[in-house]
Amino acid sequence: METAAIHTYGLTRRFGALTAVENVTLSVAPGQFFGFLGPNGAGKSTTIKMLTGLLEPSAGRVEILGQPFDAGALDLKRQIGVVPEGMALMGRLTATEYLHFVGRMYGLDRKTTDRRTEELLDFMQLSNENKKLVTDFSHGMQKKLALAAAVIHGPKVLFLDEPFEGVDAIAAGMLKTMLTGMINRGATIFLTTHVLEIVERLCSHVAIISQGRLVANGSIEELRAGVASTLPGAAQEQRLTLEEIFLSIVGAGGGQEQAQELSWLA
Amino acid sequence: MAGVGAAGVGGGGADGLGEPAPGNAINAGGVLGPLARAQYGALARLRWQMFTNGLRSNKGALELGARTFSFIVYTVMGLAVGAGAAVATYFLVSGNQWRFLPVLFWVLGFIWQMIPVMLASFQEQFDLGILLRFPVRFGSYVLLYIVFGLVDVSTILGGLFCAGIWFGVAAARPGLLLWISLALALFAAFNILLVRAVFAWIERWLAQRKTREILGAVFMVGLLSLQLMNPAIYEKRHSGRSGHQEQAEQLRAAKARYAPLLKNANAVQKWLPPGLAAQSLQQAVAQQPDAGLGSLGLLGVYVLLVGGILAIRLKAEYRGENLGVAPSRVVAVAGRGKAAVNAGIPGMAALDPGGEQMIHGSGPIAAIMEKDVRSLLRTLPLLYAIGAPLLLVLVFSSIFIKNGAVQTPVFPLALPICMVYAQLGFTQIFYNNLGTEGVGIQLYFLSPTPMRTVLLAKNILHSFLFAVVALVAGVLTALRVGIPDIAVVAATGAWLLFSLPCNLAAGNIFSIKMPYRVNPGRISRQRGSQANALLSLLVQLGFLAIGAAVFTLCWYLDRMWIAVPVFLALAIVAVFVWRQVLNNADALANERRDVLMATLMKAT
Repeated sequence: METAAIHTYGLTRRFGALTAVENVTLSVAPGQFFGFLGPNGAGKSTTIKMLTGLLEPSAGRVEILGQPFDAGALDLKRQIGVVPEGMALMGRLTATEYLHFVGRMYGLDRKTTDRRTEELLDFMQLSNENKKLVTDFSHGMQKKLALAAAVIHGPKVLFLDEPFEGVDAIAAGMLKTMLTGMINRGATIFLTTHVLEIVERLCSHVAIISQGRLVANGSIEELRAGVASTLPGAAQEQRLTLEEIFLSIVGAGGGQEQAQELSWLA
Repeated sequence: MAGVGAAGVGGGGADGLGEPAPGNAINAGGVLGPLARAQYGALARLRWQMFTNGLRSNKGALELGARTFSFIVYTVMGLAVGAGAAVATYFLVSGNQWRFLPVLFWVLGFIWQMIPVMLASFQEQFDLGILLRFPVRFGSYVLLYIVFGLVDVSTILGGLFCAGIWFGVAAARPGLLLWISLALALFAAFNILLVRAVFAWIERWLAQRKTREILGAVFMVGLLSLQLMNPAIYEKRHSGRSGHQEQAEQLRAAKARYAPLLKNANAVQKWLPPGLAAQSLQQAVAQQPDAGLGSLGLLGVYVLLVGGILAIRLKAEYRGENLGVAPSRVVAVAGRGKAAVNAGIPGMAALDPGGEQMIHGSGPIAAIMEKDVRSLLRTLPLLYAIGAPLLLVLVFSSIFIKNGAVQTPVFPLALPICMVYAQLGFTQIFYNNLGTEGVGIQLYFLSPTPMRTVLLAKNILHSFLFAVVALVAGVLTALRVGIPDIAVVAATGAWLLFSLPCNLAAGNIFSIKMPYRVNPGRISRQRGSQANALLSLLVQLGFLAIGAAVFTLCWYLDRMWIAVPVFLALAIVAVFVWRQVLNNADALANERRDVLMATLMKAT
């Protein structure tokens, strides 16, 4: 049996009386592009923080590449790259300086760091922004830089928390190409995003979390078949989009009705 | 849907959800109009909620305790200063010693301006930048800037000093109450506006590389000038060895020599705010109300002038000016081959995890130090924290100089005392060494570099910076008060070897357990931590007490050499403790990572 790239067992995180993530058990195979979906406040970022060592689980455990992972697993940290929720940028550096710093923090030598920094900045089209400090970057530019920093050390497992938020269409296309290339070469990617079209296009497998609990897990086709089977008669034949699957699983809620009640909005 | 397009600020109907109509929107008005008042109310409520919410955690309660304690200490200090001012004013006014009254106002002004310089790192001020996205009028912005700025140490001390002068005049000459009230109100307004204007403009200048270099050069020239004064100081030192009678003669000669200069200085100071405030009272007593009003009017002009200078700066901030600076070094980007891109970045990542590794893990230490140096050069509060100790040494070393001459023999504890000032200046750097990381703190937890290495790199860099500052401070002290005995130099060096690892060890613990975010673009308006400041000061006082006990004992025994082995023995223990703290840094950081990240990633 192949060792999972990411495996969680009963992952739970409580903040006082609130249970943000409850008993999440999932497995991501090597080379998989895995989409982790959920409504706002469902527990996606909390889960990704626990998976990357930014947050200690209240219960359960995490394995990365078959080894137990916690904040002290330094060798394993060399194998993973992360674009966290806050992007982990350092505002008083330029993009080059920041990537140099990150590369060396991951143990790359200066020469390799220099080369990869230059390549990544070119690829991300940030080379011409080198006079600016990171703090003066637009949100999209910061996202691109955060992604560059996440891959500079060539991770085998990549965790991305909303990497496409605020990124323009051209850059998003580039990023998708890059991520697909990584998958083709054997990397594993764990992605959270609210842009379901991207997940549908890129990811082979999806898990959905709602109110801290894992409510669906499998390939998109499996989820599609599962949801379709609950639909009446002829509706089972139509090909559901991921958005329809997602809404069906987590429930559309009363959002549309509520929006109509806000009659004072233009 | 009539009226939707014309919805005013505030929108909403009577119940907040109805059809928007201009008539139902809050009328904007002026700085005291309905909208502004609603905004002040909302802001006051926000501050109150932030305060009460802060009390939910132990840290918040500790912070409140520290703030209360600080407030009491400053108030007691202010009351003492105010009482002194009241007594002095009473005797000067009742004795008609009007020519000395301006001195009190000058002292008051000095305190008002100097306190923020010394305490800027420790004071919390609300960053009004968050208001810029709301429809806040410029007048309201200025008003809030001034009102929020009132809650600081300089205002407490200055206000109590003013109260002292007021009571002194009221007791000596009740007929002057109106005059002194007006004069003090205007003088207080002048000081409040001046201190904010000075800080606001210094921040603006320091935010630009060129002006930062110019100010740095001016600072260096100032230091060099002081050093060039030493031949004069030495001359005085030699002449200072003569007897009391000769000294008295010299004093008389100096008075005669400097009398014209003092007369000119007095003529000038009469036209400056402290002189005008004092002069208005004298003119009122002399039954010259027109002249008195003229003095107060001129003082009012100064207030308007300083207010205008501050307003220019605030206007730029109000328009959304960003004090972020571009780096000085232009990295060449031209001519880079795009071939590398085409060579396949997408593939680079997956199967090349390590690259060439740095030997013995020295890479991260160098990287962190390099990064911190770059950040330091662009972070005003830290540059200030490093430069301020030298100013403090310069100012406080003068207490060892009497009548313009160095005491002979040189006071043996002058050097260690000046080193204490230098070290106290590094409090923020030692005790909050992660404070400037911001959201970047996440990287330390994500990367394979242990926190031990991160703190070690920071400790090495900070030790180097402190060594440089201590060396400069030592040279300054020697030039100002004379070259100390070699035993004192050795003992001071040994004491530093003891106190530095102590501070680094304690600082590492504080940095993880009680961090606070440093706003890199500001000297003032930091959201500091009174608890961190107060407790770190107490810890340092503990280390200082050990040092003081050893120094005093050795001085008393006239065997300063004994201090050297004592401090070296203590230094060995201190280094051991420091190493232990470093070894436990990862466990401590992991235990506190939630709070650490939440605190440092908090928006300023």
